[in-house]
Parts: sequence; structure tokens; C-alpha cells
Amino acid sequence: MHIMEGFLPTPWLLLWFAISIPVLAYGIYKLDRLVSKKREILPLLAVAGAFVFVLSSLKLPSVNGSCSHPTGTGMAAIIFGPAISAVLGTIVLLFQALFLAHGGLTTLGANVFSMGIAGPVVAYLIYKAGMKAKLNFFLVVFLAATLGDWTTYVVTSLELALAFSGSTAEFLILFEKFATVFAVTQVPIAIMEGAVTALLFKYVINVKSDILVELKVVEAAVVNKIKGVSL
Amino acid sequence: MTNLLDDYALSSPLRYQNNWLKLAIVAFGLFAGVSSTSFPPLFFMSFCMAFATVYLGKTPPKLYLKLLLAPLGFAGIGALVLVFFMGSGQELYSFSLLGYPLNIRADGLALALLVLARAVNGMCCLYFLALTTPMIELFAVLKASRLPDSLIELSMLIYRYIFVFLDTALSIKYAQTVRLGYGNFKKSFNSFTMLASTLFIRSWEQGERLFVAMDSRCYYGKMPVFETKRPVKAPEILLTSIYFLITLALVHFKEITTIV
Repeated sequence: MHIMEGFLPTPWLLLWFAISIPVLAYGIYKLDRLVSKKREILPLLAVAGAFVFVLSSLKLPSVNGSCSHPTGTGMAAIIFGPAISAVLGTIVLLFQALFLAHGGLTTLGANVFSMGIAGPVVAYLIYKAGMKAKLNFFLVVFLAATLGDWTTYVVTSLELALAFSGSTAEFLILFEKFATVFAVTQVPIAIMEGAVTALLFKYVINVKSDILVELKVVEAAVVNKIKGVSL
Repeated sequence: MTNLLDDYALSSPLRYQNNWLKLAIVAFGLFAGVSSTSFPPLFFMSFCMAFATVYLGKTPPKLYLKLLLAPLGFAGIGALVLVFFMGSGQELYSFSLLGYPLNIRADGLALALLVLARAVNGMCCLYFLALTTPMIELFAVLKASRLPDSLIELSMLIYRYIFVFLDTALSIKYAQTVRLGYGNFKKSFNSFTMLASTLFIRSWEQGERLFVAMDSRCYYGKMPVFETKRPVKAPEILLTSIYFLITLALVHFKEITTIV
């Protein structure tokens, strides 16, 4: 859910830029370190970014008849971690603003915070916690992607409510209203995206599990268990 | 979904104007738009930007209208929330929906309209940039702006591969569609996940090949970009300053005559 160009008034859009830019700087620092250590990672990150963009420009069938665009950020967070997802997300959001008119330039800071930072962080934490608890791999991926999406919507409602309310009481009412409106349209979409992400990992594990093991996304033991191979 | 704005930007005559001038116009419009609290400057700016894009930039008017209407869905939802739940002033109209009272108040409506006008203005400015400046030109600007190299390299590579993967994704989608892969909900769900995962695996293999290809051509972490020198002409400066001055005057005029 992108906040559209021109929707946020002046002090708020600057605030979201101020919050997003340090995180982005940290992401770039991590990216630089990773690239200097493993040079082959840059082209791989580039294709992953392009993949997220293309995925988000395809329409995802949804239960209630409406169509939506998957965000793909949950997947990026699981594979690359939240810091690098923030960098990828920012570039993708910039391209979406310029190519597809999704989102905008002044609202880029707010959108980066909701879709590039908050969502991936939650997705990543849930994924790590779930894997540590040795839950079913696909269930964990599903939960991470779905809850990551929900976080994005909650943060988006928060950003909108903050921008338009004068007092705390007004803020609470507006936040609840925005969240309700988004919940009706976005909750089924988030569940769909969670299911798509889980299935996507299933195909990837079946065909090319080595890349996930190499990036330390899953352990070899988990892959073997899923494939039904006993060593 | 294949209507990328970049394709139109490549064939626009405004493509050959100075990038910094265009960026300055857009940045001015965006910031004046989000900080303005009255309608005249917003309408004036939207009109100027639309005129520049369609008349000077030779964007097909039909396409431009379609583009303007497309993102208004989001604006509509946001504005509706503001109409119904904001404001404390005079009640204009109220009704109840499923036993839940909904009130439209004067100040809530005014705020919603203002936000809508701002969104339209923002879209006009954004489209002016997107429809007249191809991404390739913006990369030269990004390089000159001293952002971290890795970020710019990454965005250039992503830009390159967007088109490759979009092609792949579309051909897979056509192939699935002619085999009735999107016949009902369950089938479309299956087809979509298959499309996404195939695309992921293919792009990954492409990335591995790309690394080998770039390495064997002595890639050292930086791709040089050729930047053409395009001096700003006098009439352009004149027109831009007139536009800036009128907008500022309109914003200022509102401050003197605070009616509402």
C-alpha cells in the first residue's frame, strides 16, 4: 500500500525521511561490506531487486474479487535480512514512483519506512524466531510474509493518522478508521501473499535449494527434511 | 502493466532539455504543493505541469488522462476517511449505515478536498518528470550527486534487469493464459506461484551469469556513464522563473487574504 504523491503535508513527510535515511545509510554500509567481501553478491542483489519490481507489477488474484500487487518485501527480508532489504526496497519504490506512478517522491520517506523497513524487520524477526522454535518451515514463511504485510498496513495507517490529526484523541480515532478501512481490503491480500511466498519457497527448495543454504537462509538439515532425504 | 512511463519519456522532445532544470521545476512543484493550504496555487501548478507534459512533452492526452485517474483510487479511500471522520465544525449531511452514524462536516470536507487537490498536483509534477526524463538521464544526475557508488550501481543493474524479467514474466503469463491457467481462483493462484518461483530461479541463474560476464570484462565496481552537456537556454529560464513567481504570488496572496 503506497502513500500517494502529495498526500502527506510538510512537517510529516520530512519526519519520515529523517527516520528512514539513517536506516538506509546503515543498509548501504552493510551492503558495501558484503560486496567487498563477496563480489558476486552485487549482481545477485540486482536481479533480486528487479524480481521484486516485476513481481509487484504483476496482478495477484485475490479472494474478494479485487486485484492487488504483491509487495515481495517479506521474501527479500527472509533471504537478505532487513538492512539490505531496506536498500533494495528504496530503489524499487523509487522505480515504482517513476515508472508506474505507485507512491511518490515526497512520500518516499514514509513509504520506505512502512514497506522497506517496518514490514521486512517484522518478517525477519518472525522468520528467525520461528526457525529457532523449529516450527514447520512453510508455516514460518507464511506467517513472516503475512504479518510483515500487516505491519506495513498498520504503519501506513499510523503515518496517515499522524499527518491529519491535531490532538491525541483525534489521532486515536483516525488511526482506528484508517486501520479498519485498510483491514477490509488488505487483510485477505496479505494472506494471499503469505501463501504465495510459502509456495514460492517450496518450488525454490525443490529446484535450487543450494542457493538458500549458501545464503544461510535455511540449514541443510531443514532442506533434507523437507525433501524427505535422510542422510 | 507493461505501460512503463519510461518508454514514453524516451520519445519525448523534452528529453533533450537540461536535467537539473527539470528536477528543479519538479522539486519546487512538489514542495510548494504539500505546503500550500489553499486551492489556487495547487490548480495553477497542476495546470502548468499538465500543459508542459502534454503540449511541450508531446505525451498522448488520452494516455495522460488515464494515468491521472489510475492512482486516484488510493486518494479516494484516504479522502473518504477524512470526509467522514474528521472535523468538529458544522454538520453538512449525516446518515447512518447499518446503524453506524456517518457525518460529513464542513471542515472535514474542506480538508479532504485540499488533500485530493494536493495529490493531483503531486501526480502532475511526478508525471512531468516521469514522462519527460528517462531513467538513463537521471543516473547521470545521481552520479553527479555523490550518493554512494554501490547504491547507484545497484539501481542501474536493477533498471537493466527489470526489462529482461518483465519480458520473461509476460511470456510465461501468456503461455499460462492460453492453457487456461487463470481460469478460476485456484488455478490462477497455482499459476501465479509457479510464475513467481520460475521467475525467481531464472533471475538467480541470470545473476550468476551476469557476474561472470561483468568480471571477464574487467568490472571493478563502477560503470562510467556518459553525461551530455545541455546548457539551459534563456527562454527556458524566463518561463521557469515566471512560473515560480506566479505560484509564489498565489501562495502569498492567500496568506494576505485569509478568508477561511
